[in-house]
Amino acid sequence: MPFAGIDIGSLTAEAVIVDQGEIIQYTICSTGSNSRKAADKVMKLALQRAGLVLADIEYLVATGYGRVNIEFADKRITEITCHGRGAYFWNPEVRTVIDIGGQDSKVIRLNDKGRVVDFAMNDKCAAGTGRFLEVMAHALEVELAGLSELSDKAINAVSISSMCTVFAESEVVSLIARGLPREDIARGLHQSIAERTAGLVKRVGLEERVMMTGGVACNSAVVRALNEKLNTLIIIPSEPQIAGALGAALLAEEEFTS
Amino acid sequence: MTVNDQPANNVNGSTELNEDEIRRIKTKTGKPVIGYICCFAPPEIISAAGAIPYRITGKPGKDTSSADAYSEPYGCTYVRNILARAVEGKYDFLDGLVISHSCDMVQRLYGIWTYYHPLPYSYLFNVPHQLTPWAQRFYKRELGFFRESLEKFTGQDVPDQKLSNEIISYNKNRDIIRRLLKQRKEKPPRLEGSEIFELLLAGGTLPVDSFNRLLSEKEVQFASRRPVNGNKPRIMIWGSIIDDPALFKIIEEAGGAVVADDTCIGFRVWEKDIPVTADPYDGLTEHYFVNFQCPRTDRGPGIKRFDYLLERAREYDVDGIVGYCISFCDPHKFDYPDLRDYLKKEGLPMLLIDDNYSFEPEEAIKTRLQAFLEMF
Repeated sequence: MPFAGIDIGSLTAEAVIVDQGEIIQYTICSTGSNSRKAADKVMKLALQRAGLVLADIEYLVATGYGRVNIEFADKRITEITCHGRGAYFWNPEVRTVIDIGGQDSKVIRLNDKGRVVDFAMNDKCAAGTGRFLEVMAHALEVELAGLSELSDKAINAVSISSMCTVFAESEVVSLIARGLPREDIARGLHQSIAERTAGLVKRVGLEERVMMTGGVACNSAVVRALNEKLNTLIIIPSEPQIAGALGAALLAEEEFTS
Repeated sequence: MTVNDQPANNVNGSTELNEDEIRRIKTKTGKPVIGYICCFAPPEIISAAGAIPYRITGKPGKDTSSADAYSEPYGCTYVRNILARAVEGKYDFLDGLVISHSCDMVQRLYGIWTYYHPLPYSYLFNVPHQLTPWAQRFYKRELGFFRESLEKFTGQDVPDQKLSNEIISYNKNRDIIRRLLKQRKEKPPRLEGSEIFELLLAGGTLPVDSFNRLLSEKEVQFASRRPVNGNKPRIMIWGSIIDDPALFKIIEEAGGAVVADDTCIGFRVWEKDIPVTADPYDGLTEHYFVNFQCPRTDRGPGIKRFDYLLERAREYDVDGIVGYCISFCDPHKFDYPDLRDYLKKEGLPMLLIDDNYSFEPEEAIKTRLQAFLEMF
């Protein structure tokens, strides 16, 4: 019996279909301005690829900030619980999950059963998140995917003192105007994200092993800076963006069978 | 003079409704209304002096731009909110204002308010930050000064017997409240935390006899409720001033039950009687100063305050604590890291909600609270 999880984030939407605790299909789309439409689209695609229709899904859990808008969901669970469950599925040794998504970042502590025992989230701003990187990539005139590569070529890291996305963008613009190398600025930006995230990790305390989920986990420069900052080796799953939807799908199966 | 002809069920935690009610009572009785912030200046004394005590509350999330011209940017959003409402004339029914020096910001509020808009009566009530014997004598003496100033304003003497009678009347309400609070020990409780909290809010804004009728009516209503099924995570609330049921309601909507609190409008004021002592000022000092667990008063190492919280968390079989801090509320922010560690050792998880006295963005607050409830 197939079960599904759907994660409507601020920038991307994901759907995962599982059966007997195994992923059988997943999709990632951009959310756009209508989270309801994004949910329909991402679910339809995942079903198509799996050769299923919505009626085949026994139980569906929605998560992410758009979870309340998904009418076809049987249950809604927060992204904190879902990311924790997804990460634990990939590696049951994980006790700390760092999730940096489009507009928020969170650190989740798990127990040996994969249950959330503590968590911390960023303040109500997008500093140090995917949106932050998007704005900075734009200011540096580079594709988001090329930001990490650009920073790899840096000789020094420029210190970025503003945490706020809007102020940091002005700071970057003025650094460019001063003629500082874009590479060095890019590295500075990645380090500033790592510093901010490390602060969040300290709030709940780090316990090995650590996994990173969410879109920003795809940025290798951030991961490297975080490894240094936290003095650990963060596990990066093959598809970090689907952790929330995966956790939701697994919780759907657990919920139904219990 | 009592006001017995009005049904009490037209009052609740709604600020507007209670303001209308107080205007009505004021017109009917001709008594002056004296607004107060924080409990250090006891409403019992105000009432004994022939005035109507009115606990001033804000309106979370309201635009506070009308306060900008009067307040420094570092002022907390709670004080700005009250100041904005004062500027807009929302408290125009007040004849007097008493503010205790519980923290620097409320003291500034007193200064700004009375400078720009002098009231017929105003009093700044000093409160020491320590609990030493001299500090207790200071507080008790301050109660006496406060009484004298009220006597001068209302023209009515407050002999000790009159004050003791007032304390006894207020304690009758505490008796009913204790019975209601006890019902929150049920699993799951039949009464929502927000329902009781709205009542306690009303208690600050109504004369003692009106509040007594409201409580009695509600107690009868509540008694006929049927038990409910199901299990809900049992939550206790701790934190800065909470004078609106919004946080209670968000937790309830997310599937939790607020069964206890350690806040200045909730348990702290109402759960225990004011001791009826030969010298009534001794009982008031004990209740409102020595035993009043606001972090603005230093309790030294060992932090008795945390034991107070834990005792109640155990009594009400609490699963987790939700802390609520208004930005720049230093007394609470200083406590938070130690409190969190202390509770962790006791196996009680805690979630802190940082807010600007607005409960916005609501979705972000809801997600945090829902995730916290999913842990149980």
